[in-house]
Amino acid sequence: MLRGLVGLAGVSAIPANGETGFSFGLTPVVLDNTEGLLEALQYYLTQQLERPVALVKRRSQRETLEMLLSGQLGAAWICDLPYVQNQDSLTVLAVPMYRGRPSCRTYVIVNEKNDAKTFDQLRGTQHAFCDPDSTSGYLVTRWLLCLRNESPGGFFRNFFFTYGHRNTIRAVATGLADSGTVEGYVWDLMKEREPDLIARTRIVYRSEPLGFPPIVAATRAQQSGAVETLAAALHGMTSDLAGREILAMLALDGFAPMSPGLYESSAEKWRVVMGQSRTRP
Amino acid sequence: MTPSLWRVAAWPLVIKVPVLVAGLMVTVAFTISQVVLWKFVQAQEHNLKLVTGAYLDGLSAAILPAIVQGDVWGVFDALDRGRSRYADVKPVFTIVELPDRRVLASSDPLDYPAVPEDRRSRFAADDSLTIDSSSDVRRGWLARTLCLEPFPAGRPAAAEARSSPCLDKLPVARLYTEIDITDLLRVRREILLTLVLVNGCLTLAFALGGYFVLKRMLQPFAVLTRYVEQIREAGRVEPIPAGYRGRVAGEFGQLFERFNAMAVAVDERQTLAAQLADREKTAMLGRLASGIAHEVNNPLAGMLNAIDTIQAHGKDPAVLDASLEFLKRGLAGIRDVVEATLITYKDGFDTKHLTPGYLDDLRILARPKITARRLRLDLHDHIVEPLAIAGSAVRQIALNLLLNACAASPIGGLVTVITSWCDGTLRITVADQGPGLPEEMAALLHRAAPAMARGQENKGLGLWMTGHLIRRLGGHVDVEYPAVGTRMIVTLPAQPKETLDAAA
Repeated sequence: MLRGLVGLAGVSAIPANGETGFSFGLTPVVLDNTEGLLEALQYYLTQQLERPVALVKRRSQRETLEMLLSGQLGAAWICDLPYVQNQDSLTVLAVPMYRGRPSCRTYVIVNEKNDAKTFDQLRGTQHAFCDPDSTSGYLVTRWLLCLRNESPGGFFRNFFFTYGHRNTIRAVATGLADSGTVEGYVWDLMKEREPDLIARTRIVYRSEPLGFPPIVAATRAQQSGAVETLAAALHGMTSDLAGREILAMLALDGFAPMSPGLYESSAEKWRVVMGQSRTRP
Repeated sequence: MTPSLWRVAAWPLVIKVPVLVAGLMVTVAFTISQVVLWKFVQAQEHNLKLVTGAYLDGLSAAILPAIVQGDVWGVFDALDRGRSRYADVKPVFTIVELPDRRVLASSDPLDYPAVPEDRRSRFAADDSLTIDSSSDVRRGWLARTLCLEPFPAGRPAAAEARSSPCLDKLPVARLYTEIDITDLLRVRREILLTLVLVNGCLTLAFALGGYFVLKRMLQPFAVLTRYVEQIREAGRVEPIPAGYRGRVAGEFGQLFERFNAMAVAVDERQTLAAQLADREKTAMLGRLASGIAHEVNNPLAGMLNAIDTIQAHGKDPAVLDASLEFLKRGLAGIRDVVEATLITYKDGFDTKHLTPGYLDDLRILARPKITARRLRLDLHDHIVEPLAIAGSAVRQIALNLLLNACAASPIGGLVTVITSWCDGTLRITVADQGPGLPEEMAALLHRAAPAMARGQENKGLGLWMTGHLIRRLGGHVDVEYPAVGTRMIVTLPAQPKETLDAAA
């Protein structure tokens, strides 16, 4: 735990022998509250990269993205929307495999006491988004509203951002929000690990499979040894005992290279949303 | 028994003092408990104010930036985390309300989406803690107005801002919280229960201790009472043994010594009374002997004259008959005297039974007195079965009272004696038509010792003896004063002879 806290506290870690450390950014795309996950991940990456690795966690996707683009982070696990928005500057190092596929769905959920059965019945409710730069925590619902020629402010009575899929689920379960947009992977995982909380929510909409949030690096740093080593470490996680433990904690099958067109559906949705934004005064 | 139970003055000292101690203890314990509890409640509420104040102040600092940003989740998350971080505070709800009364976040959005209207009046305007300890509520309410720092110089503050609790600051939200104080009240109840239990046990211990200590302290009284009771019940006067003297406190020792001095005096008096009784008995014997001699002497003189007459004129049949008749009457008179003496002394107090007709002898025994005063004796003996009681003693009692009545009755008066038995009680009623028995004489019937006034030693000795016999037999005597004369009613316990025989 101490190692994890030390790693999370700094943006960069300088080893005793003067070798440059490696900073790895995390966003709420994963359940980082899983006990031991951060320590295990940091330990694994440190072993694999043969240099100190610091895990850096920021509240929003945007903060993490800015750090990544400015070179403060060597790589980061971000949502696919920032990648779609910055494909020219970012390179996908690895894509998580969930239930055999590099994709997951987006869920729109409601509190169990809410009568809504469809997305359209959510009109007038208080809605919780995860992050404005998240596909599964914002873009999908925003796209659904665009299809209805609606905006969040017009469709919902009120909406707010929780900056975490687990937070969104908590907000809906406790009644702070009537409905919320969450990543299906997180909801499924919490159903096993926090069933009491999940039992107080109900899914009213499931999206089609969308590309899983990737691990990316700045394109200009892709050729660096550390980034390449990181990609290899992620791809080879299934063949390492510590790696398999981490995958078990994440409920993932492993990491794979990005397949072409994986994030096209997300990119299309973003374009639709952007299109509406331009046409609206 | 029941009335005296409620009469506190009649309670024994050994009960009264412990009850008094218990009462004082209860009063002191109640007063102290009230003061302790009052002080505890004050301290508890003061502590609650501090704790809840710290809770709201901590929350205020945590949520103020989120409120300014309109960050619903940030506010909720801080409220949610604050709920578990302050162990001493159990908020029922914590609600952040914006100045336009819109709720930004509630710690329990489902049950308390907004401040319930019926609770709004519970929150003090000056942000102080209010408490309702009644059993159906058990809640505390506290609010804070959250403000931003003063406006930069030159920028006028809004009117509502100047009038708000923030004074020159800008109110951005009001934080309402309702606190569950059930635990506090439970602690109060536990302390009250502890006080009641401890004080109750102490009171009981003091009362019991007082009872036993006092009982021990008053033990000499019990000894004294026992010896006094012996005098009353058995007429037996015994001094308290010297062994007790050393075991009691000084004042009781003196009391024992005085009692013993009195016992010696009474004993001497009783001895003297017994001697007097013996002398009276001797005197009575003398009187009896002289009476017998007198009763025999008179007919003897007549009979001697009759014999002289027969010797002189015995040839005259008329004189002979008259003289023989006179002799016969004289002999009959002597026979009567002998019979009366026999009846009186043929058996002593050893007679265990009173048989029907036993008291008929009273006619013969009292005949001299009755004849001398030409009285009429109305004797009714209703005893129909043998009774287990000393018959001679009963007859002595009845005879004494009858003779007394004869002496008191006027010449030619009526004396009535009625004896009856019913339900284990033998009743002897003797009435005369005299001037009435003086009260001081009647009192002799109840005295333990005869009158000892100088020169009157023998006066009323018969009455005292009668009273003594009645007490020996376990009975009592009542003296009544009807319109004329005196009526004395003797009541004696007596069971039928057959009943006792069967029981034996």
